[in-house]
Amino acid sequence: MMQSKLKSVPPKPTPGAQTGAEKPSVNRRPVLQVEGVDKVYANGTVALKGADMTVREGEFVSLLGPSGCGKSTLLRIMAGLGDVSAGQMRWWEQGYDVVGDTGRKLAFVFQNATLMPWARVRKNVRLPLDLDHSSRPDDVEKSIDEALSMVGLSQFQHAFPRELSGGMQMRASIARALTTQPNLLLMDEPFGALDEMTRNKLNDDVLALWQARNWTVVFVTHSVYEAVYLSNRVVVMAARPGRIVDEITIDQPYPRLPDFRVSTEFAGYCRQVSQALERASALGEEASI
Amino acid sequence: MKQPLIKSERFVQIAAPLGVGVLFLLFWEIMVIALDMPRYILPGPSAIGASLFADWPTLFRSLMITVQITLLAFAISVVLGVLISLVFIQSRWIEISLFPYAVLMQVTPVVAIAPLIIIWVDDTTWALTICAVIIAIFPVISNTTLGLRSVDPNLLSLFRMYRTSRWQELIRLRIPSALPYFFGGLRISSGLALIGAVVAEFVAGTGGARAGLAYLILQSGFTLRIPRMFAALLLIALTGIVLFALMVWLSDRVLRNWHESALKVEH
Repeated sequence: MMQSKLKSVPPKPTPGAQTGAEKPSVNRRPVLQVEGVDKVYANGTVALKGADMTVREGEFVSLLGPSGCGKSTLLRIMAGLGDVSAGQMRWWEQGYDVVGDTGRKLAFVFQNATLMPWARVRKNVRLPLDLDHSSRPDDVEKSIDEALSMVGLSQFQHAFPRELSGGMQMRASIARALTTQPNLLLMDEPFGALDEMTRNKLNDDVLALWQARNWTVVFVTHSVYEAVYLSNRVVVMAARPGRIVDEITIDQPYPRLPDFRVSTEFAGYCRQVSQALERASALGEEASI
Repeated sequence: MKQPLIKSERFVQIAAPLGVGVLFLLFWEIMVIALDMPRYILPGPSAIGASLFADWPTLFRSLMITVQITLLAFAISVVLGVLISLVFIQSRWIEISLFPYAVLMQVTPVVAIAPLIIIWVDDTTWALTICAVIIAIFPVISNTTLGLRSVDPNLLSLFRMYRTSRWQELIRLRIPSALPYFFGGLRISSGLALIGAVVAEFVAGTGGARAGLAYLILQSGFTLRIPRMFAALLLIALTGIVLFALMVWLSDRVLRNWHESALKVEH
């Protein structure tokens, strides 16, 4: 099982952990570390080879790559869903004493909304609290109300999922992740199936929530624009075998408003990331020949 | 806005098959009169109606016995079938080991097993009920098992992430996911319970006070009371339709808010 490999290693003292303001994403405390992780499926498919990465407190990291590059696999490993074939995942527990330990402070948003179709929105949103009684907030109803109002679904709390649009279903899914007040949010191509306008709107919403809540987010996407718009850091992956090939820091201030989408800096970063992605897929093709 | 009756979907749904039925009965009656068909070969609908009226006490008593066996068998099939499914999903091994025997029971014609059961079980009502259960239980088992396994894998991942107990997983996730499949099984099973009850009675040939509709058909055949035979046949068919409609209604009530099968397409 995964748990046996999740060793609780006490954090090494990070020099200058709280002081370095000029390069925040480097000096922040690590939340989790992936070290030389391989994932080989029973049929022999190598989904992930030698993945190394560190996610730091408060970061917004995107995993970007073509289909089959193992980005979702890596995210699922981070969520504790599924075993690793080699290497290890380390949780840095200082200040995150519950992360990885009970799974409770970690929330996962799937590619589709993954709502229970038989339950109304409110019941869907409260699911994590119903499943895990151990560390419920004092006022369950209030925390659900908050989560619903944050994603703008208060009015639709008594609707069934099928009565909502795709974007609203995704919002409900995000609200469900919010109720646990996570400090690590894992999102697996959450807006991949939505139209561009809804997607942009939800990107802005997620960014606003991220800033308000001081989360750490790992976001899987195959859209260069989405990755650049959202992230502090874009981790570029290649396929066959799935691996991490590049890392690009998006050194732009937040809040990033829709104007950022049409700025020259944005275009520059997009070009840089696209080139890294092209190099990555060229590597992938070499590997498959 | 009030629609003209002819354009209303519901009106058409009822009126169209009803119209066909009435035309068919008319044609039947006319042919019987025109060809001067003897009653002991093919009675007209009017003669069948008269028999239904005249023989009502006998017919009703038999109907109640058939209905009683059908409902008993159906209830046992549902409870036992669901319990067996719950056992099946506990492990692949259990399912792999036992499922072939469920299939074996299903594919062996009940007519062939019925004489044995009638010898083994003294009480005729129970003997007939067991025969009917053997036929009716399979769709409940196979559909419910399929349903309990057909869980959205992402939802299952989510439940696993929160370290949910198997019990919680069953109650909150597997059982609701299985409902549409379960109701599909109920529709088939309700009809099969009736078929089982009738077929078993044909084999058992129970007479006297405990005679069901099947025996009434046999007996009417021997005495050439063909109108009564048709009347009994009609009652069996009606029982089947009522049971089926009841299952559709129940399924619709439970699933209407969320499942595709119960959604109404808006025009």
